[in-house]
Amino acid sequence: MLSGFNVILSTISFSIETEEAESLKQQVSFTTTTIPTALLFSGIPFEKACQLRVKGEGGLSAATAGTMVGLSLGEKHFIRGGIAQDLRTDGRKRLTYRPISVETGVIPQANGSARVRMGTTDVIASVKAELGKPDLLQSDKGRVIINVDCSPTAAPIFEGRGGEELSTELSVALQRCLLGSKSGTGAGINRSSLMVVEGKLCWDLYIDGLVVSSDGNLLDALGAAIKAALSNTGIPKVHVATAASADEQPEVDISDEEFLQFDTSGIPVIVTLTKVGRHYIVDATSEEESQMSSAISVSVNRNGHICGLTKRGGAGLDPSVILDMISVSKHVSEQLMNKLDSEISAAEADETES
Amino acid sequence: MEYVSPEGLRLDGRRPMEMRQIRAEIGAVSNADGSAVFEMGNTKVIAAVYGPREVQNRSQQINDQALVRCEYSMANFSTGDRMRKPKGDRRSTEISLVIRQTMEACILTHLMPRSQIDIFVQVLQADGGTRSACINAATLALADAGIPMRDIVTSCSAGFLNSTPLLDLNYVEDSAGGPDVTVGILTKLDKVTLLQMDSKLPMDIFENVMQLAIEGCKAIANYIREVMLENTKELEYRRGI
Amino acid sequence: MLQSKSFVRKTKQGKVIKVVREHYLRDDIYCGASICNVCDSSVARLSSSASKILIFDTNVVLNQIDLLENPAIDDVVVLSVVLEEVKNKNLSVYNRMRALCSNSLRKFFVFSNEHHKDTYVKAMVGESPNDRNDRETVESYVKSLGQPELLDLLVQPSSEDVAMEEVEDLRPSKKKIIYSEHKPMSEITLGLHRGIYHQGKLRINRYNPFEAYVGSESIGDEIIIYGRANMNRAFDGDIVAVELLPQDQWHEEKSLSIADDEDEEEEGVHLVPNSADDAPRNKISSSGSTGDPNPAPCRPSGRIVGIIKRNWNSYCGSLDPMPMPASSGGVAHALFVSKDRRIPKIRIQTRQLGNLLDKRIIVTVDSWDCLSRYPSGHYVRTIGEIGDRDTESEVVLIENSIDSRPFSVQVLACLPPLPWSLSTVDLENPNRKDLRHIRVFSVDPPGCKDIDDALHCTALPNGNFEVGVHIADVTNFVHPGTPLDDEASQRGTSVYLVERRIDMLPKPLTEDICSLRSDVERLAFSVIWEMTPEAEIISTRYTKSVIKSCAALSYVEAQARMDDSRLMDPLTTDLRNMNMLAKIMRLRRIERGALTLASAEVKFQIDTETHDPLDIGMYQIREANQMVEEFMLAANVSVAEKILKHFPQCSLLRRHPSPTKEMLEPLLRTAAAIGISLDVSSSKALADSLDRAVGDDPYFNKLIRILATRCMTQAVYFCSGDLSPPEFLHYGLASPLYTHFTSPIRRYADVIVHRLLAAALGISKLPPIFQDRPQLTSIADNLNYRHRNAQMASRASVELHTLIYFRKRPTDTEARIVKIRSNGFIVFVPKYGIEGPVYLTEKGEKGGDWYVDEVQQKVKKMDGSISYSILQTVRIHMEVVEPKPNRPKLQLTLI
Repeated sequence: MLSGFNVILSTISFSIETEEAESLKQQVSFTTTTIPTALLFSGIPFEKACQLRVKGEGGLSAATAGTMVGLSLGEKHFIRGGIAQDLRTDGRKRLTYRPISVETGVIPQANGSARVRMGTTDVIASVKAELGKPDLLQSDKGRVIINVDCSPTAAPIFEGRGGEELSTELSVALQRCLLGSKSGTGAGINRSSLMVVEGKLCWDLYIDGLVVSSDGNLLDALGAAIKAALSNTGIPKVHVATAASADEQPEVDISDEEFLQFDTSGIPVIVTLTKVGRHYIVDATSEEESQMSSAISVSVNRNGHICGLTKRGGAGLDPSVILDMISVSKHVSEQLMNKLDSEISAAEADETES
Repeated sequence: MEYVSPEGLRLDGRRPMEMRQIRAEIGAVSNADGSAVFEMGNTKVIAAVYGPREVQNRSQQINDQALVRCEYSMANFSTGDRMRKPKGDRRSTEISLVIRQTMEACILTHLMPRSQIDIFVQVLQADGGTRSACINAATLALADAGIPMRDIVTSCSAGFLNSTPLLDLNYVEDSAGGPDVTVGILTKLDKVTLLQMDSKLPMDIFENVMQLAIEGCKAIANYIREVMLENTKELEYRRGI
Repeated sequence: MLQSKSFVRKTKQGKVIKVVREHYLRDDIYCGASICNVCDSSVARLSSSASKILIFDTNVVLNQIDLLENPAIDDVVVLSVVLEEVKNKNLSVYNRMRALCSNSLRKFFVFSNEHHKDTYVKAMVGESPNDRNDRETVESYVKSLGQPELLDLLVQPSSEDVAMEEVEDLRPSKKKIIYSEHKPMSEITLGLHRGIYHQGKLRINRYNPFEAYVGSESIGDEIIIYGRANMNRAFDGDIVAVELLPQDQWHEEKSLSIADDEDEEEEGVHLVPNSADDAPRNKISSSGSTGDPNPAPCRPSGRIVGIIKRNWNSYCGSLDPMPMPASSGGVAHALFVSKDRRIPKIRIQTRQLGNLLDKRIIVTVDSWDCLSRYPSGHYVRTIGEIGDRDTESEVVLIENSIDSRPFSVQVLACLPPLPWSLSTVDLENPNRKDLRHIRVFSVDPPGCKDIDDALHCTALPNGNFEVGVHIADVTNFVHPGTPLDDEASQRGTSVYLVERRIDMLPKPLTEDICSLRSDVERLAFSVIWEMTPEAEIISTRYTKSVIKSCAALSYVEAQARMDDSRLMDPLTTDLRNMNMLAKIMRLRRIERGALTLASAEVKFQIDTETHDPLDIGMYQIREANQMVEEFMLAANVSVAEKILKHFPQCSLLRRHPSPTKEMLEPLLRTAAAIGISLDVSSSKALADSLDRAVGDDPYFNKLIRILATRCMTQAVYFCSGDLSPPEFLHYGLASPLYTHFTSPIRRYADVIVHRLLAAALGISKLPPIFQDRPQLTSIADNLNYRHRNAQMASRASVELHTLIYFRKRPTDTEARIVKIRSNGFIVFVPKYGIEGPVYLTEKGEKGGDWYVDEVQQKVKKMDGSISYSILQTVRIHMEVVEPKPNRPKLQLTLI
């Protein structure tokens, strides 16, 4: 009797599963047909996203960044309406940042590190320097490797390999914004200053970012954290023993006491403008990001030069709008840069004091 | 190598029976239902708890109790030597399992059937005793999430070097190759829920070392209670009670 | 109580790694001064009456440690930062300092300034560790005393103490290349071809591992190799390629052989060497120091450029004593010291250091790269505890590669069924003579079970005597090509240790079937002479036989019978007749120039229960021994003549080369010093001059003979086809031909000779192996090797038991000086047959106020008040000491 009952139960549950699987399949095909490239920041047109969400939470998790709170239609209108009226849900104006706090030297084992919080978004960046051999093609430059990890503490969907996609996207975006082209021209970070002995010895900087808590605008936060971490970075002074022959690796003596401070003046800040409806906002929360149609991330240095640019999101943008957005972001970046610099210097003062 | 000087001081200046400085902070990850940071000297971990919530993968649902899951991960920069490890290597899987089992032992899972509790621990810095620090952080995070528990679990390690039992090994002492006894206890019930040791040790010495680790756990438990009390008072204050 | 301060340090391991460690500062570290009113004075080490407290900086400790060890220095506060720096710079000074601090009699107090909250000093920017230490040293302790007014009294001469010489930092900045790279094989082959390099087997001097020889065919002489650097990682027995050094470097031997102190070479007490092979060879070269204006063209020296074939093996020894690692399970890097001094120390890694430190272990070598001073290897197995009799005995066996395993089933299967008795087949064999009616008897040491020789002596009606030597017929049971034969030929000889015997043949053969015991019928191979009463041999017969011994006598019994004039029984008469003949033969042999050499053999009385030695004494030689010996020599000579006649190309003979001039040099020098001139032109001359060398005391002559013995090399087996007849000479016996025939139970050479003799008599066919001369040569080489090892093992066993004996019995006794050294002399203790160094100065000090008079062989005190000369009698004290744990040794000191 009992076993028969079990059998019935299991068949029922099985049928449920197959149903779900089918619907899942539909969703997948759906998303892929609309916007295959940019899954990030939920570049799905609004109506379709709604449809998706109705069908089930499972399909969304892969397509959204951060925690996605299920939003009702009313909530969505509220968010969009607020942005349109320049009064966002948390009371900010469209071009206002959340409070930024910077803490440096959080990872003593690293050569430099910083933790940046923007509202409830919380990221850590660390810089480790290792001695290496420069590439043959760029024998006068050191390497900079940027890598971002999304900790599952930030959101359960990052569990296992769940965070990989977003991590990769963030890493690539950061590289584009900070390191310039492949040959290294236009890089925000001066890679030539990492050279120790030309063609033989250079410093390789490994920049690791970790998303501890995510509530939107990860790219800007990571960019700020990296900037702070680099200004916190001390690279040990290297004394090279002279008279090493051409094909030998030179003998080096690494100083325990002397550090070279990294020049961070040229490092840009990243400003992401998120377009929701007809307007664009800075420092979007994850709720707001779920409503965006497209976004532009611009990295701008102190001189106001654009160091890198990424457009994300599915909806097309009028070129004039893009130019407009860039000029706005350039304007915003000045404020952000100043704010960040003062935070960084305050944090460093804090660190040396403690 | 001399890990304890004839003057009775360890390399970092502690005496054999002393723990490193510990620090705990509740609520580090605002999105999570419960979270905490726990530091033991230079070892620093963050724990975040999500749940109890709907079971994500229905096939894992348990009808009479909650499903507890745990993932342990180490940040790339957490160790002195930067290394890029693939996620889910054996060591992390093992530690995940250990933490899960330890925490499961104290969560009243039968009160939350058909639900799921996720515990994520992230190591920011590793300097020995990460296992213990993770368990302590997880305890705090669970408490912060308001998940019903029998008791609080705390964990501490002890070792034996230079013929001296040492409490709370740091990385240098841990890599000396001596035994490393990690103990987790339910403090009020006075029950051991976790016990691991590597290397070898005579029975009578093992007893001493384990006792030392248990004393360490109790000290941590006292501190954790204080932190929780402090946190609750603050919450009360904010609510205006 | 805890204050945390992280400080940053960087290490380099190719990569740059930033290391962060916590550094806790405390307020519970006390200053150790009892006058202090802030600190807990119960832990104070310094005396309360101390009016001043001494604080040293690193340089003082490093340079003046001897002064600090003087009890006059007291009330010292040692800062931990100073200790740490000393540890980094010189570990031995650090250990001495640590010993001082833990000595409860000395008032040394270690103050952990680095962890005291008031004395911790953060490194200033641009300050070197040494400067910082100086600053700390001065400031920190005073700060802790809690009397700030004292600080003002301090002068800070940090920049002025440059007067102190810079101490060399011993921390190796990078690995040095210690040995030169081996040449690639292709280059070696080419070099050998062109004659630039020379190939040969490396033999390292047993007594001076920094000296080695390569016998090279291409040069036709031995090439000497001095020092480990020139040996370039080669082991004893390796086939190496050698490059000759330029001729002007051929003379640097002495400085090297003495000055190389890296291994703390030290002579221990050992048995008296029996021949030049046993004795240290390094003295040969010291002739140059007597001021010879044109030193004899010394042998070519060279350096090794490559190793053609390694001879790596397992080695037996123990670990260098070292402090325990921090944890029982941790990996420790230990240095293994082989018992064989020719083997360098070997680095091993172990997790069981605690278990292995007091054990004898076996280690094999894995590699030796040119960056490391010592080869690296790994642990194989443990033999047992150091000093344990069984362990050490096994070590002796392993060291001499003696196979002591029980015989295999295949070998045992070759034995005849037991119990064995004489069969009719043997009796009906036409080649076997029935001699059971003859009165045959044997004379052996007491308790001897492997009796391989028996004798008879019958008076013939014509007044002559028929004398027979009957040797156990081992070849009747050991057939060529059987596993039994292979095993015996591999073992080569039985090995006699003090407490056990390792047989060449399985026990049933050794003790029963072949042993010529009394009252049983046994098969024998007999040599029967007819001799005139003047001991002239008239005829010689060789035959296989059946005998029945009527008595198995011991030497003592036989001697007693001969001496007891009341006994007139036939056996005693036979004995007396034989003795009479033997004396004549002996005299004649000595006439011919045979040397009566002396060796100092010792005998132990062993406790039957514990196997510990109870008494020790010189082996007494009686007439009966000499009698048996004489007939055995005669039999051997007769057999040698017979087999050589039949098989001139493939006989196995034994020869004893004449000693060369330089080998006799030490003997001559000693003799000259005491005013005796020895004639060494021939063995006859030497024998005569030895007879004349009679001093004022009865032992003098024996001593000279012992010294003479050790100048000789050992006799060796050889294949007659390999050498020309004049080289067959046996110098010691003054016999043109000699072989071994009389002990087939315990020597394989005799088995071969038995087969040759049987073939010569036409009894059996010559085994095919004798057609193959290279193979016979290799057998002879193996026999020499085994024979030598067996002797070494016996000696080592005796040495071991001597040590065990003296462990509980410190003894005062008389000794004779046999060798003079710059810081003492070597004495010989006749009573116990041992020899060892007596130091006049502390070890490590060179010479001191003693100097050596080479000509007179004297060591004199500078002021001339005391002098010791060679052969002088001194009284010494013998005691077993343990300078290092688990390394007991016998120490001789002058009373």
